[in-house]
Amino acid sequence: MKPPILIIIMATIMTGTMIVMLSSHWLLIWIGFEMNMLAIIPILMKKYNPRAMEASTKYFLTQATASMLLMMGVTINLLYSGQWVISKISNPIASIMMTTALTMKLGLSPFHFWVPEVTQGITLMSGMILLTWQKIAPMSILYQISPSINTNLLMLMALTSVLVGGWGGLNQTQLRKIMAYSSIAHMGWMAAIITYNPTMMVLNLTLYILMTLSTFMLFMLNSSTTTLSLSHMWNKFPLITSMILILMLSLGGLPPLSGFIPKWMIIQELTKNNMIIIPTLMAITALLNLYFYLRLTYSTALTMFPSTNNMKMKWQFEYTKKATLLPPLIITSTMLL
Amino acid sequence: MLKIIIPTIMLIPLTWMSKPNMIWINTTTYGLLISLISLSYLNQPNDNTLNSSLMFFSDSLSAPLLALTTWLLPLMLMASQHHLSKEPLTRKKLYISMLILLQLFLIMTFTASELIFFYILFEATLIPTLIIITRWGNQTERLNAGLYFLFYTLMGSLPLLVALLYIHNFMGSLNFLMIQYWIQPLPNSWSNIFLWLACMMAFMVKMPLYGLHLWLPKAHVEAPIAGSMVLAAVLLKLGGYGMMRITTLLNPLTNFMAYPFMMLSLWGMIMTSSICLRQTDLKSLIAYSSVSHMALVIVAVLIQTPWSYMGATALMIAHGLTSSMLFCLANSNYERIHSRTMILARGLQTLLPLMAAWWLLASLTNLALPPTINLIGELFVVMSSFSWSNITIILMGINIIITALYSLYMLITTQRGKYSHHIKNIKPSFTRENALMTLHLLPLLLLSLNPKIILGPIY
Repeated sequence: MKPPILIIIMATIMTGTMIVMLSSHWLLIWIGFEMNMLAIIPILMKKYNPRAMEASTKYFLTQATASMLLMMGVTINLLYSGQWVISKISNPIASIMMTTALTMKLGLSPFHFWVPEVTQGITLMSGMILLTWQKIAPMSILYQISPSINTNLLMLMALTSVLVGGWGGLNQTQLRKIMAYSSIAHMGWMAAIITYNPTMMVLNLTLYILMTLSTFMLFMLNSSTTTLSLSHMWNKFPLITSMILILMLSLGGLPPLSGFIPKWMIIQELTKNNMIIIPTLMAITALLNLYFYLRLTYSTALTMFPSTNNMKMKWQFEYTKKATLLPPLIITSTMLL
Repeated sequence: MLKIIIPTIMLIPLTWMSKPNMIWINTTTYGLLISLISLSYLNQPNDNTLNSSLMFFSDSLSAPLLALTTWLLPLMLMASQHHLSKEPLTRKKLYISMLILLQLFLIMTFTASELIFFYILFEATLIPTLIIITRWGNQTERLNAGLYFLFYTLMGSLPLLVALLYIHNFMGSLNFLMIQYWIQPLPNSWSNIFLWLACMMAFMVKMPLYGLHLWLPKAHVEAPIAGSMVLAAVLLKLGGYGMMRITTLLNPLTNFMAYPFMMLSLWGMIMTSSICLRQTDLKSLIAYSSVSHMALVIVAVLIQTPWSYMGATALMIAHGLTSSMLFCLANSNYERIHSRTMILARGLQTLLPLMAAWWLLASLTNLALPPTINLIGELFVVMSSFSWSNITIILMGINIIITALYSLYMLITTQRGKYSHHIKNIKPSFTRENALMTLHLLPLLLLSLNPKIILGPIY
C-alpha cells in the first residue's frame, strides 16, 4: 500500500477512535465508530487473498450491525430523555440495546464468533491493531454509560466470554486464533467489573493492551503464525524465547507478573460487592487460558524443538526494536515492595 | 529482613558477571554467607515475634524455615555442578539465576506479614520451579510433570485468593500480626465451611494431602537434583507453614472440618509408605516417603494442640534436611549409572564405603531413630494424636513400622549384598558429594543437641 494512503487510513482510524472517546453527542460517537470501521477495512485487506476478504467482510457485517443497534439505542434514548448528550441512560431498553451493540463490537460472548475467524484471516500487524486499538473505543463508551448498564446482562456475557475464551483456545495451534480467544477471555474479565468499579476495567484494558502488543510484536519478529514456526525460535533468538515465556505466563495471570494485577483487583472488587462464586468461577476458568499459553511456552521456550536450521543470525527488521521496550514493562510492574 | 533479601537479589548479577570458572564458587560461597545472616534470626524473644518492618517479620516458626531455605541454596548449587557441566555457559547462569530467584521468593514468603503478600509470593515460587523442572529435567515425562504441578497447585490456590480478599473485607486488614487479636470465632455454617475449604485446600495440595498428591511423584522424579531438593525440602513446607498461619483464623470450625482430612492423612500415610515398599524407582520411593511424612504434619496441624504444633515444626525441618539428603544420594547414584532403578546399582558399600556411611545415616534419620529431631517430631505428633483419639496410635504405629521397613529396604538394596557386576567402573565419590552430604547431616545431628530452636512458637 502506498505510504500516503496508508498514512491517511491510519490517521482516520485514530481520529475515529478519538472522536468516539472525546465527544459527548451520541451522533458524533456513532460517526466516530463508522469512521473507524470504514478505515480499518482496507487495513484488514492488506493481503489480497480470499481469506482476508472473507475476514474483512465478516468484520464489516458485525460492526455495521452493531453500529446500527447502537444508533437504535441512541434514538430510543432520544425519544425518552429528549437529548443527545451521553449521560445516564434512564430507559432500560435503550441501555440494553447499547450494551448489546457495544459488546458485539468488542467480541464478547455470545457475539464472539467473528473474532477468531477475522483474526485468523488477516496479517499479524492488522491483527494487532484489531485486538488492541479497536477495543479502546467501545470500552470508553461502556465506561461512560457504566452507571446505567444492566448488571445481570453484562455479568452473564462476561462469564460466558471467559468460559468460551478458555475452552475455545484449547484446540488451537494457530497463534492468531489463540490471541483471539485470549482477547475474548480478557474482554470477559473487563466486562465483569464495569458496573462495579469502571476504573479497574481501565486498568485491565491498559495492561491487556500492553501485553497483547508485546506478544504480537514478538510474533512479528519471527514472522511466525503457527506454534510450529514459533518453536524454531530457540535456534535464532534465544533471548526472545524467554521473553515469550514471561509474556505468556503474564497473560495467564500468574503472580508476580503484571498480568496478575487486573485479576487480583477484579476479584477484590467483586468480593467487596459480595459476589463470591462468580470470581471463583472466573478465576478457575482462567486456568484453561493458562493451559494453552503454557503449551505455547513448552514448545517455544522450555524444550528445544527439533528444527531444520542451524543459523545463528537473521535479518532484524527496524520496527521491531520497539519490542524490547515493552516486555520489561510487562514483567516488572507488580511493585509490591 | 532486607539484609537477607538484598544480598540474595545481588547474587543474580554475581552469577552473570563472574568469570566462567568462578560462577559456582562465587555463588556457593556467598550463599553460605547469606545463610549465616539468617541464623541470627533464630534468636527469638520469648513469646513474641521479631518485627523487621511493615511488611516482614519473623517468629519462631518462620525463622527455622528461613534458615533451612538459605542453607539449602549453596547445597543445591553444589549438587547441580556435575549435571550442568556440559551445558553452555549462558544456560548454566540461567539455571543458577532461577535457583536464586526461587530462593528470593521463598525467603520473602516465609517472612511475609500480610497474607496477600504471602499469597502472591506463594504463587510466585511456582514459576521458577516450573522452569527448572520442564527446562532442565531429563525425561519426556517432565512436561506432564510440570503441568500437573502447576495446575494442581493453582486449582487449590485460586479459591484461597478469593477467601483472603473476603477475609480482608470482613476484618479490615490481613496483616498477620494484627488479626491475631481481632479473631472472632467462626461458627459452623455452609458458607463458613466453604470459606474453610477455600483457605485450606491450597495448602493441602501443596503438602500434599493423600488424595491430591498425584503431582508430587511426577514432579520430584522428573526434576533435576536442585529442583527435587528444593521441592522436597522447602516447597512442601510452604504448605505446612501456610496451614499453621491460617488455622488461627479458622477456629473453632476446624474441630468440625478436620475429620475428612485427618482420615485421608492417617490412611494416606500408611498407603504411601506401603507403596514405597514396592517401588523400583529410587527417586519415586523418596517422593512417596515425603508424602508420608507430610501426612503426619497435616495430622499435627489439624489437631491444633501445643505439642502437635511443636512436633509439626520439628518434623518439617527434620524432613527437609533428610529428604534433601536422600535426593542427593539418589542423584549421586543417577550420575554414575544414568538410571533411577534401584536394583541396577547394588552393593555399593564395597565400592564406595564413605557414601555408604552417608546412606546409612540418611536412612536412619528417615526412619526416625532416636535421638534425631525426626524422632522428636514424629513422637510429638504420635503422642498428640493419641490424646486426640486413642485409635490413631494403631495407624501411627503401623506407619512407623512400614517407614522403617522401606528405609531399610532402600538401604539394603543399594548398599549391601553383592555388587552388580556392571558397576565396577563407576567413579569414586567426589569431595564435593561428601561435602554435600556432610552439610546436610551436620545440622540434622547438631539440632538433636538443642532442639529448642526448631520447636516453634509454642515452646
